[in-house]
Amino acid sequence: MKKNIMEVVYIPLFALLVVFPLLMLILRLEPKGLAQTFSDPFFWKSVYLTFWAALGAALLSLILAIGFGYYHLFKPRSAIYKLAFLMNELPLALPHTVAGLALLIAFGRRTMGFLGETGLAFTPTAVVIAMFLASYPLAARALTAGLDSMAKEVIEVARTLGDTPVEAYFKVALPSVRGALFSGFVLAYARALSEFATVALFGGNVAGRTQVLASYVFSQIEAGHLEMAVAAGAFSLVWSLAVVSLLSFRRLIRC
Amino acid sequence: MLEVQGVCKSFDGRPILQDVSFKVQPGEIRVIVGLNGSGKTTLLKIIAGLLRPDRGKIWLGGQEVTHLPPEERRVGYVPQHPALFHHLTVEGNVFYGLKGKPSDSFIGKILDMLGLRDFLSRRPEELSGGYKSRVSLARALAPRPRCLLLDEPLSGFDLAIKGRLLPQFKRVLELLQVPVVFVTHDPWEAEELGHSFSVIVQGQVWEVPSAEAAFEILKESFCEEGAVVGI
Repeated sequence: MKKNIMEVVYIPLFALLVVFPLLMLILRLEPKGLAQTFSDPFFWKSVYLTFWAALGAALLSLILAIGFGYYHLFKPRSAIYKLAFLMNELPLALPHTVAGLALLIAFGRRTMGFLGETGLAFTPTAVVIAMFLASYPLAARALTAGLDSMAKEVIEVARTLGDTPVEAYFKVALPSVRGALFSGFVLAYARALSEFATVALFGGNVAGRTQVLASYVFSQIEAGHLEMAVAAGAFSLVWSLAVVSLLSFRRLIRC
Repeated sequence: MLEVQGVCKSFDGRPILQDVSFKVQPGEIRVIVGLNGSGKTTLLKIIAGLLRPDRGKIWLGGQEVTHLPPEERRVGYVPQHPALFHHLTVEGNVFYGLKGKPSDSFIGKILDMLGLRDFLSRRPEELSGGYKSRVSLARALAPRPRCLLLDEPLSGFDLAIKGRLLPQFKRVLELLQVPVVFVTHDPWEAEELGHSFSVIVQGQVWEVPSAEAAFEILKESFCEEGAVVGI
């Protein structure tokens, strides 16, 4: 059977650039590396911190996305919306090292010195903020896409039934796009899990304190413990797969 | 009484409504017909408070409401698409505007007249198009609005469904005894429901004696516009 151009181009490229590297990571797994990694308390501390910091960052992203969604729906011509729209897209294009540097300057020793020797920098809170900066645009995008697909008449009817804009937003708009809210949360969480550069710069890479899983993998590579880096990397891969599978799960349960 | 006084509205410099004035008495169903894009929906949204007029005033029951937000006007609005709240049941939709106030026999009567009593626990996606329209109407009526606006609520239904819905709609609208503005494209709907008739042509609203006269003017204006664009 004759194959079309998309099959000829897409499938080999997808297999080579997406599936092959991840498969090679799994194939490089060694029992010794797994045993060493899983018995390393710093590994589990990084897993613990990553889990909770990503959750905090995703929740924070969702809260801000909900605020942004209100302006998107009710005040799209306001100056604050236009500025927020521009700033939302910025973290997608800004090098993460620059974002980390900006956070370091904004919340570091000079401005937040009263909080401690390093300000907010190099603390678990810094990890959450760094992850948030990377993940928030995805939550905002998912929510506004949902709001755009919602029939505007639904809000208009709610207003004529006595709702103020804020009431209509919370009682009608957000429940109508709960699928988009869920997607936004999961995407933000997934993005937070993978963040490295901003976290490393602002949160630091202090083993047992501010080291996240991505930094742990990096540290193991740097120390020459490739088998441990591969084991932690494979763990991270399974975790990420589980998170993104939630998006398919949402379609299954028609959330 | 609903009174629209000299309402003007433009979008991006293009005039949509020009000096529109008319009155609708309580219990009267005013049918407004007009071509697509003639400003019918804009007019309803201005009355509902969803759009601000550039000029002119809206009066409801002797009170000027031009600058009141929609939530303070107590105007029932039934859009072209039922726009039901999909996260709520039929009951949740119908009782939405009551804000926790206890229901009374009026709502029971509406539910019976529209045949919705057995569907209260259903979700909107479980309903046919005809029932969605009934829920949309019941939802607008339940808080006892001071005025009711219907924007082609029966468009998209075939004759058989319309034949069943029209008498129900008419009975329920007459029960409320408030000014009703009913926008339609369909001469049959206009004839069946209307007590008085208006036609929108080139942003202006003209009062006419019958549905037939309204559609006659509409036909002429369509031919004129068609001649301009070369149809």
